[in-house]
Amino acid sequence: MALKALDIYKLLPKKNCKECGDPTCLTFAMKLAGGKADLDLCPYLSDEAKSVLGATTRPPIRLVKIGVGTKNFKVGEETVLYRHEKTFYHPPGLVFRVTDTMPAEEIVAITRRVRDEVLTRVGADLRFNGIAIENVSGSAETFARAVETVEKVEAHLPPVLISKDTAALKAALVHCGTYRPLLHAATQDNVQEMCALARQHGCPLVVRSGSLDDLVNLVKTCTADGVTDLVLDLAPENFGEFIRRSTAVRQLAITRAVPDLGYPVYLNAAETGQEDAAVALGIVKYGSVIVTDPLPSGSAKAALTLRQNIYTDPQKPIQMNPGIYRVGSPDKDSPVLMTVNFSLTFFTLQGYLESARVPCFMLIVDTEGLSVLTAVAAGKLSEMLVRDSIKTFGLENEVSHRKLIIPGYASPLSGRIEDATGWKVLVGPRDAAEIGEYLHQEWKK
Amino acid sequence: MPFEMNFGWTTPIGEVVLGATKADGGTRRISYRIGGGTTLPFLESSPSSPAPLIAFEICDNPDFWSPIVKDYCGDVVNNANEWAKKADADYGADLVRLHLTSTKQRNFSDIASLGSVVEGVLSATSLPVIIEGSNEPKIDSEVYQKCGEAGQGERLLLGTAEAGKYRSIAAAALAYNHSIIAQSPIDINLAKQLNILLKEIGVQRDHIVIDPYTGALGYGFEYSYSAMERIRFSALKGDTDLAMPMICSSADTLTIKEVREAGDGLQDETAIQWELFTCLAAATAGAEILCVRHPGTIVPLRKALAGMKQPAQSAGVP
Amino acid sequence: MTDVESAKKHGEESLKTRIASIQKPFSYEETAYHLPISYALTGVAVHDRAAAEDVFKKTAGNPIVASECLLAEQTAVKGKEPAPYTGFISDTVIRKLGYSLVDGSILGLALIVGTPKGEGSAAAICRELQEKYMLTFLAGTVVPSLSAAGVKVGLDYRLIPLGSSPFYGIHFVDIVARVAMMFGGVTPGDMHRLLTYAAERAKAIVIVFPGLTDEEIALVDGMRVLGFPILSLGGYENATWVPATPGDVVRQGMELRGIRVNVTAIPIPMSCSPAFEGKSIRKEEMYVEFGGGRSTAFELLRMREPSGIEDGKVTVIGTEIDSMKEGSANPLGIIIEVAGKTMKKDYEPVLERRIHNFVNYGEGSWHVAQRDLIWVRISKEAVAKGVKIEHIGKLLASKFRMDFPQLLDAVSVTLITDPAKVAEAKKEAERVYDERDARIKGMRDSDVNTYYSCTLCQTFAPNHVCVITPERLALCGAISWLDGKIAYEMSPSGANQPIEKGAVINELTGEFEGVNRFVKKASHGEIERCSLYSVMEYPMTCCGCFEAIALMLPEVNGIMVVNREYKGMTPSGMTFSTLAGTIGGGAQTPGFAGISKNYILSDRFLQGEGGIERLVWMPAALKEELKERLEKKLEERGLTGFLDKVADETTAETIEALIEFLERGGHPALTMKPLV
Ligand code: SF4
Ligand code: SF4
Repeated sequence: MALKALDIYKLLPKKNCKECGDPTCLTFAMKLAGGKADLDLCPYLSDEAKSVLGATTRPPIRLVKIGVGTKNFKVGEETVLYRHEKTFYHPPGLVFRVTDTMPAEEIVAITRRVRDEVLTRVGADLRFNGIAIENVSGSAETFARAVETVEKVEAHLPPVLISKDTAALKAALVHCGTYRPLLHAATQDNVQEMCALARQHGCPLVVRSGSLDDLVNLVKTCTADGVTDLVLDLAPENFGEFIRRSTAVRQLAITRAVPDLGYPVYLNAAETGQEDAAVALGIVKYGSVIVTDPLPSGSAKAALTLRQNIYTDPQKPIQMNPGIYRVGSPDKDSPVLMTVNFSLTFFTLQGYLESARVPCFMLIVDTEGLSVLTAVAAGKLSEMLVRDSIKTFGLENEVSHRKLIIPGYASPLSGRIEDATGWKVLVGPRDAAEIGEYLHQEWKK
Repeated sequence: MPFEMNFGWTTPIGEVVLGATKADGGTRRISYRIGGGTTLPFLESSPSSPAPLIAFEICDNPDFWSPIVKDYCGDVVNNANEWAKKADADYGADLVRLHLTSTKQRNFSDIASLGSVVEGVLSATSLPVIIEGSNEPKIDSEVYQKCGEAGQGERLLLGTAEAGKYRSIAAAALAYNHSIIAQSPIDINLAKQLNILLKEIGVQRDHIVIDPYTGALGYGFEYSYSAMERIRFSALKGDTDLAMPMICSSADTLTIKEVREAGDGLQDETAIQWELFTCLAAATAGAEILCVRHPGTIVPLRKALAGMKQPAQSAGVP
Repeated sequence: MTDVESAKKHGEESLKTRIASIQKPFSYEETAYHLPISYALTGVAVHDRAAAEDVFKKTAGNPIVASECLLAEQTAVKGKEPAPYTGFISDTVIRKLGYSLVDGSILGLALIVGTPKGEGSAAAICRELQEKYMLTFLAGTVVPSLSAAGVKVGLDYRLIPLGSSPFYGIHFVDIVARVAMMFGGVTPGDMHRLLTYAAERAKAIVIVFPGLTDEEIALVDGMRVLGFPILSLGGYENATWVPATPGDVVRQGMELRGIRVNVTAIPIPMSCSPAFEGKSIRKEEMYVEFGGGRSTAFELLRMREPSGIEDGKVTVIGTEIDSMKEGSANPLGIIIEVAGKTMKKDYEPVLERRIHNFVNYGEGSWHVAQRDLIWVRISKEAVAKGVKIEHIGKLLASKFRMDFPQLLDAVSVTLITDPAKVAEAKKEAERVYDERDARIKGMRDSDVNTYYSCTLCQTFAPNHVCVITPERLALCGAISWLDGKIAYEMSPSGANQPIEKGAVINELTGEFEGVNRFVKKASHGEIERCSLYSVMEYPMTCCGCFEAIALMLPEVNGIMVVNREYKGMTPSGMTFSTLAGTIGGGAQTPGFAGISKNYILSDRFLQGEGGIERLVWMPAALKEELKERLEKKLEERGLTGFLDKVADETTAETIEALIEFLERGGHPALTMKPLV
């Protein structure tokens, strides 16, 4: 159970010296409670406080950084089992796999694809995160060459090196050892040598076993050896096993029941025989590094979108940028529909408008992501806001009429909007599903 | 050392029977008992239920159906009976979900025809059937009476009850012993409220399937996902008003831009993948009936579900 | 006059002898329920004398059971009666009837038996029953009397002639029994369930004309066990049948059984919808206005005894709109009287506030403010369409019934435009306002045993639970205890639920056993304890909607408050939005609590920490907003001048400055019991 801010405060030096960067000890305590500050920032902690707080304010799942530079990604530091409890913080890295038996052109093409492919949704650029190179040739030399091929593209993507053979990894690390590649994988058989490699290059390491007991032992060995940036490969035999083990790891870690399981989870979708499904399950069920063969367009987009959905903050509505949006190709006589910048409202309305096939403008006003109903109730949606938005976004230049359709739930404001804007206000339906019919009936006449 | 995941669950999910075989007074070749889960989805080592089930959605008037599906299925979309037959024999669905879209025409009044549509589909397939009635207050009463009567004895799943419209569906369920889908707009409290209303009118818990409403992937799906997780969580924690199986339809997913505008040759693949991702995520959140509209989704979805339903290995996980 | 008691005794005896003389076996076709009443009561399928006698004995000589068996035998011997009589009704038809009952297209069932005097009286009753969506069954000479009056009978007309003698009324009961088994989950033989179902759910009434035989009286009287009111239209002497008049019997019966007709349409010549709510009526568009400082006007909603109100009645006292001058200001009194089984006097002000919304729903009517400050306008356009003062009354009467169907059974509206009468009625209204103010003001948490919860915000803060008490408004400031109470009454399965506060655990911090129990359940087991008046220990959870945040400042041993509107930095080193982000989401954070601004004025504010004396800082604007009321409070508590000791951003922006300020002013918190 995480400590509350007040309990933490009691253990702090109460000097308010600001050296931790926070104005008061209480503020610092609040940050610690939320897992948003590092205990070491306070130089005056007593040893007792350190030991008590150390165990409870340390994130239950370790944050592991893979890769360097602008394209590195961090996984772990999750605190909940369900996203609705707080949020999921670090989206899984989706990593495309190449093998060292592929022709160089193919390796280059895939690397370029990961570098270049981007899906822009809701104002965010969604990308794949890295390249995994698997040693299937059995030759250290071939493996090293494949890694070199990838690095030569200069995509600077976080690498994942997959080989059972430490010699092969050693050879490959010559080419990318300073880029914090993720090494796969330490098992009972090679854990010592793997640790040595990881330590030498300062890279994160995957430990692999189908048994949680063995994983705990492996983790213990590695940490004792000074390798603490670990990732767990649960070696699932099937999807059911993945869900069970991954859930167990998450639950046991966040409750601090088995601190040695407090590391991000690795999933190789390529070895499941059904990559698209594996990626989907990896995203929802606590996967943090998901390796897959390059996905075809449909599943690639679906995967990026699902990941974006699951890793949005459920307590913070996604907001659209306020402004004028077009549906179809509207002209000077097309209707204008005003609504709020809560993304769900926006998309729902946009969807229905598109299927209604009436070209129109959407005037999106900034209610800080509140829905119509709450924005009206909280006073966030006001006639002033509407007036200013019309001015700021230059709606007057877009249409020749002066009619504004407002959402049904905003009807209490209709009179005041008319007065403030001089536009004629039409009250639309409360339910976006009825907008098509509304436009056909009301706008035409 | 064995690791115990301790969630402190107290209450299993209630069970609902779909379809009636000859032994139960119906004519279905199979009936399903869904629900009964005692922990989070797929954690059980030997699940008692065959769920998640895959339902294929068809309609009796395809005017507003996704053009991608219409193109893929061909002429059969104009004949609900043939389409149902295909869903059963060719596509390999577990259930057929018939939307009476003909009722959506303006001033629709030919209620009598609906009876024969329902009967037709019931004789075209011997799978359990879900019937979606009208959404027009003026005709709801007659429509659901007709649907209920036409499916008497077959233990249909009737949809869709909402807070403002549940009386007729409840009446049909009670009068003709069917189960119903109770839909609320992505809100656990509203879901609970509707179930209480249904309880008050006399619908038993084992006749209700919750539809928390599934937003399209990328367009609010996360809200649905969390609503499902929360419903399942509260149910297992003892809230019997929420302890019913859930249904998810990925129908909205086919209407979004990414799918509609996927580009030539990519539409089917995209539609299938988006349905697949939606359904799999929903299944892990607790949905036990997964509805799809693209026939191509069924095979990969079934394959993935089979893997998820594998009995537990001995890996130190309960 | 027939004495029911003695007739009943005779009737029961004769039924008993007749049952012993049953000869032939009998059964109805088209049913799976045998003789439905006997089957439902005992689980026995009766088809011959032996079974009949068995069931008769099992039910302690019930006259209904006897009648059912006898009629079944008679039907087997003589065959069915010819049309229009239906006799026994098949399961298929019952299923449809039951469907309509659940579905709401039929509101209830009525049985009419006996011999009406004169043709018209039964016809009028039947017409009223039809209008009120009741399905009516007829048995005996009432049928020919209706035909004679030209009333059509049959299922399509919701008038079903069961048979030529009142004895056929037994089918009315067998229908109810089958509906109970088909729809109510009653298993055959579960007598208790059946009786509870009939008493609680079957919306059935019996109307009796004179002229029943002793056996028939025994049968009809037997129906009382099922909870059906027996309404007598004369000719019978007895204490348990309800005397009624033909003009009132339907209303009375429906009310006794709690059958309500839902109002769905508003009969006025102007559209009425929430879409018009925000439309204002400008001076140029206005035909007449009332109040707004230009004339006397007020509104008042009061609860009355049901007998004192005629539902839907609208009275206008004084001139109508046609004799008012265009553009003029006129006096107006709006008096609404309501009645309902669950209505309480406390709800009056909450309902009264709805007058504002409802009048604004009218396309051509507009309303602002409340009580005797109201200002109402009616537009020229509306008047041209024929809208009158009376229609405002109709609108109000209908909307109240529509929006509060659980709460209100009857609503009547009086609109006064006569200047003298308005002035007079206003005096009475003012007295009522004062009385209400006094009551609400005096309402204390200790006066009630039930608080209310709100879990609306669980939509985004999954484990959040607001506990609302008379002295602690919800943290969003939007829901008072009374609002919670009325919301619960209106929608018992909604987001506001009653909380029995239970035994006191800690008087000072406001911790109660019942509240803890409720909060634990409603928070899905996350929150174990909740103290209502403490910031430090087990404070209420915070969803994110709070108007203000109260938080402890350990350095000064006090508590500061910051409201949402204040954007600047506070001495805690955090702004409102940083704070809100950290404590929101439905978590319980000791030392921090979300509150409404008005709660600062409550006597319970910071009670657990020693009272308002703990308050060390709040933004200047908030101080200003509360000043007048707060100073009055402080004065009452002997703390005059305390507000000056409370710092704000102009006197202390940092914790250091705050310490200095408080020390300079000798703030009491500095010397109070340590918080941490
Ligand atoms: S550095 Fe330590 S003592 Fe100084 S303000 Fe921060 S928490 Fe307090
Ligand atoms: S903040 Fe207001 S709306 Fe939200 S739960 Fe509390 S009382 Fe209800």
